[in-house]
Amino acid sequence: MSPPLILGVMTFCFLFFGYLGVPVPFSLMAGVFVGAILADVSLAAIIQKVFDGVDSEALLAIPFFLLVGELMSSANVVVRIANLSLSLVGHIRGGLSQVVVVFSMFFSEMSGSTTADVAVMSRALGGPMKREGYSPAFIAAIIASASTIAALVPPSITAVVYGAVGNVSIAGLFMAGVVPGLMIGFGLMIYCYFFGPSGMQKPRAPLRQVVFAAGDAALPLMIPVILLGGILTGYFTPTEAGVVAVIWIIVVVIPALNRGHIKNIPYDFCLAGLIFSLPLITIGAANAFGWMLAYLHGASVIADWIVSLAGNDPHLMMLLLVLLFTVVGDFIEPVPTIIIFMPLVNTLTQAGDINGVHMGVVLIATLAFGLITPPYGLVLLMASKFVGVSFSKALRAALPIYVVFLVTITFTIYFPKVVLWLPKQVIPESVGCFKAPGGTGYICPN
Amino acid sequence: MAIADKLVLQRQRHLKWQSFDKLELALMIVCGVLCFGFSLFVTCDIVTRTIGHPWLWLQEATSTLFIYAIFIGSAVATRRNDHLYLTAISEAMHGTPRLIVEIIIRIAVLGVAFCLIWFGYLNYLRGFGSFRLPSGTPIASLYAAIPLSGVLIALFTVEQLVNGVRNGFDHPEPPEIDRDMPSVDATVARAVTRAQP
Repeated sequence: MSPPLILGVMTFCFLFFGYLGVPVPFSLMAGVFVGAILADVSLAAIIQKVFDGVDSEALLAIPFFLLVGELMSSANVVVRIANLSLSLVGHIRGGLSQVVVVFSMFFSEMSGSTTADVAVMSRALGGPMKREGYSPAFIAAIIASASTIAALVPPSITAVVYGAVGNVSIAGLFMAGVVPGLMIGFGLMIYCYFFGPSGMQKPRAPLRQVVFAAGDAALPLMIPVILLGGILTGYFTPTEAGVVAVIWIIVVVIPALNRGHIKNIPYDFCLAGLIFSLPLITIGAANAFGWMLAYLHGASVIADWIVSLAGNDPHLMMLLLVLLFTVVGDFIEPVPTIIIFMPLVNTLTQAGDINGVHMGVVLIATLAFGLITPPYGLVLLMASKFVGVSFSKALRAALPIYVVFLVTITFTIYFPKVVLWLPKQVIPESVGCFKAPGGTGYICPN
Repeated sequence: MAIADKLVLQRQRHLKWQSFDKLELALMIVCGVLCFGFSLFVTCDIVTRTIGHPWLWLQEATSTLFIYAIFIGSAVATRRNDHLYLTAISEAMHGTPRLIVEIIIRIAVLGVAFCLIWFGYLNYLRGFGSFRLPSGTPIASLYAAIPLSGVLIALFTVEQLVNGVRNGFDHPEPPEIDRDMPSVDATVARAVTRAQP
């Protein structure tokens, strides 16, 4: 059987089993096993690839970031952050929808997980928004859209996976994700101000209340400082920064803010031990799928096709890749998409002479967008389930918000200097800069 | 509610044997211990490195716990139906079509579990030829997690298959009990009260 046909059968098996209801890692493995049998590849080698996919030092950061999110949400300290957001922007037109966006900008800096964000926001803010008369469809749409910020800003788990698999600086991706993350955040706030429901008018919070709210949230807000401070000073790896954040929560935040939760910490560990295995086993299975794609020259065929269309124009190359990722991201989750298509991404990054961090942040922004597009917009699905509205209604409410994402992705593609400015200033080596021979400053590629 | 009670998921009771609840509980506790273990080891790694006396074996021990946590976690997630799904077409079906689709799903999972057991076992045997540094332990000690996970996945899938055929897959579920998270307006009221002079 020819390689393209085997790839077709593999993909069909994965999508068929996946959409039938087989868990994603098992449907990926089922597709790979069928492909391996047809291509006469040893199944033991495939199992080895599953193992290799998870046997990575960099991926060890994921459980800690998830544990941070789990401890923060189960210990109920997130309400303090919601409260701070409310005192900061609750008076602006849009009211609680503005609060959702600002809350997400804060909480994303701690959890790194879009699904954790959407679950926490739906629980903490969904009810009050309903009571203030926002339509459930709009609530689901704005919560889902705001939660995608977590995929971009540090400590984004998607960035950790991209960096680990693509051999790109994770700290560089974290820093480069800040500009598109803020663009989505402020874009959503502008959208809510001009086009969203006006919400219930609240008086501007007095400075005293803002100070109280900030004081209440000060301990949890130290977490992004620990995570970023540790990573950017080079003192900690992302994994170690995650551990220090976990220790901070267990030793300081929970005893200080929710002493009653201490007895539940073992439960949080058990749950986190289970939750982190879910994306990681998917990473293992997707690694085997990606390896088969490369083995059967699928990646090079698609890369040749994109290069033949785009020539050497890096922007057009990225646009085509964004188009591909938008389509693929509509059917598959970001993490397996990144791993499966990494050989293709690497080929195109080299062919177009594109900075690895720039390419990474463009694709992560695209995959974040895929989380709210049909038919498989995972966070929009989750938000509509939590809020109690049909997916189609939530989708209709989300459609105008897509403009914010499209503008952000286009900006990210065409203005690499703006996107890479922050990593260049903070961690120059992460974007390919090297120390000048004279010892003063850095020399950076254009 | 005791932590042990909370750790065993009561969802889809009709697909479960009571006797396997203890296994689920034990595996959840193992997940917690492994998660705590590698958190502790990474902490010790930072501390020993900072004081200038790094313990090299810590990284090896951390990766062992990490790998076992992934494969054991994904096995117990099979019983709890906690895995990531593209969709669940079957849940919208009823009667015979639902039965057929659910059986196909379980057979597919069983096929994957079989491959994990058999080919994972072959890898495990091969792993006695390579050694991990610095301890010199055969890498088979890590590879063993894969067939072990396969056995557990197969066990839980058979449990669902047998009970599903016997009791039917289509059972209405009681609403899930959400975590007791206070909504934001309750705390706003409190904050405003505290802010009053």
